[in-house]
Amino acid sequence: MASVNAAPADGYPDNRARPVVEVRGLEKRYGSSTVVRGISFSVRQGELFGLLGSNGAGKTTTVEILQGLRSADGGSVTVLGLDPQVAGDRLRLLVGAQLQDAALPERMRVGESLGLFASLHPSPRPLDELAEEWQLTHLWRRPFGGLSGGERQRLFVALALVGRPELVFLDELTQNLDPVSRRHTWDVVRRVRDTGTTVVLVTHDVEEAERLCDRIVVMHQGSVVADGTPSAIVSSLGGAATVSFTDPDLDLGDLRDVPGLARVGRRGPLVDVIGSGPILAHVGARLVELGRPPADLRVHQPTLEDRFVDLVKEPSR
Amino acid sequence: MSAVPVTLTDTHHVPPNSARTAVRLALLELRLLAREPAVAVSLIGFPAVTVLVLAGVFGQSPDPEFGGAVPSEHYIVGYLGVVLAALGLITLPVRIATYRELGVTRRFRASGLSAPVMVASEIILGAVLGTVSAAVVLAAGAAVYGISMPEDPLAVFAWFLAGLACFIAIGGALGSLLPNGRAAGAIGNLLFVPIFLLGGGGPPRDVMTSAMASIADVLPLSHIIGGLRHSWLGTTDDPHALWWPVLVAAVALLFAVRTARRRAA
Repeated sequence: MASVNAAPADGYPDNRARPVVEVRGLEKRYGSSTVVRGISFSVRQGELFGLLGSNGAGKTTTVEILQGLRSADGGSVTVLGLDPQVAGDRLRLLVGAQLQDAALPERMRVGESLGLFASLHPSPRPLDELAEEWQLTHLWRRPFGGLSGGERQRLFVALALVGRPELVFLDELTQNLDPVSRRHTWDVVRRVRDTGTTVVLVTHDVEEAERLCDRIVVMHQGSVVADGTPSAIVSSLGGAATVSFTDPDLDLGDLRDVPGLARVGRRGPLVDVIGSGPILAHVGARLVELGRPPADLRVHQPTLEDRFVDLVKEPSR
Repeated sequence: MSAVPVTLTDTHHVPPNSARTAVRLALLELRLLAREPAVAVSLIGFPAVTVLVLAGVFGQSPDPEFGGAVPSEHYIVGYLGVVLAALGLITLPVRIATYRELGVTRRFRASGLSAPVMVASEIILGAVLGTVSAAVVLAAGAAVYGISMPEDPLAVFAWFLAGLACFIAIGGALGSLLPNGRAAGAIGNLLFVPIFLLGGGGPPRDVMTSAMASIADVLPLSHIIGGLRHSWLGTTDDPHALWWPVLVAAVALLFAVRTARRRAA
């Protein structure tokens, strides 16, 4: 597992914040199939935490166990200091949840659902404010069956937040949202975190995890394969960047002693120089020195998506 | 799993009043059902029309084939049980299985609606729907054919309550067992028709074959309808042991709870 404990960015929760979720050796089987294989991780108070993985990685099962909606077959879990298996009903009043593949009765109106869920909490958010925040005001009297996919998602997130939860689980949050709604949703999720609510974001969308999350756990085939900040997980690749340019006549031997170079190769007229550190500056300087400044010098930095693809290609442990 | 408590900063979260929440949810569900035209047909139209047709077939004079009862009264009173059977075999299982299939149950649970609150809400809903259907049957039958006052109103009430408990529990058991709303509808109809015909909604027991009568004797609906007729009309010797539908209710409730827990595991 690539476990990375990089220093968090300023303003983000640090390692001293108390854990609100602790998972140790969690296991879950459905019949003969093991879907969660002894995973461990923790989520700290105030963090925007991502559980990232492909479909079928075991993410949803894990968060359902955290909410007490499913039982575990092994390991231990505490959420806000409570065991979800023992105190599930109490816990679910303290946390908010937006579930993947959930629904409301077809004829239940938006306003009715917000009112019902607000009634479960002693000091719910003002409904008009919540509806405004999630662009639901004009849909107040519309039945759930008449909402689009994006409108349903927004309603579910509003329902998750109606009770002013300390911790909120958002499972495949931006599924079915158009790009504009997706950006809006990201902004609001950041605002939710900024108000002190801990957010656990479950997603298969690498870009979403990279843009939103303070820290990420990557799951693959029921195991945790990486844990750290997005930048630390990317750096665990070794920080290799690829510098590319077109020069069909360059002798590649002229680049062999460029500082930080790992390897150099050619794809037709295109030269690829792979290395770490300020490799772009060194390659540029050498090419100028050789009197062959290229017109198309480009650098490709590894992304979380590159690292994610690498991680899920490796056999899980 | 063991839990090591850490600081719970939250002091304003007090569990809501469960009874009030169950009533609120049941009232909301009733409002949703009122928006569903099919429900009005199945709850009001079907029982009213069926009882009017059947009660009119056999006439208005006391008949030895009906234990000396007026046939129209025999059917009108018996239909108080039939509407409960329809509720428990079709309406409730379809609702419960559909909610689970679509993820409504999961959504409610995740939001803090506890399983006991949801069960209580279903019981309230079932009781209201069963009572409304029964009232419609009585009102329609009495308006068209007339009906005498019950001989023992308290016993009628007790039998009706036993019938409600029995079929609400059966509805919960079927709803928790069957995989989706379509299966619940199909199985429910398959069960309802023979139970309805043999359990007191069809021919009188005296004209049944011995095999049919033997099956009828173990159906809780036979006992509920027998008890209702005995306490209202005082004219039937059909089996009517109150403990039987109560026992079926207890077993069905236990089964429903176990099945729901297994599904949630």
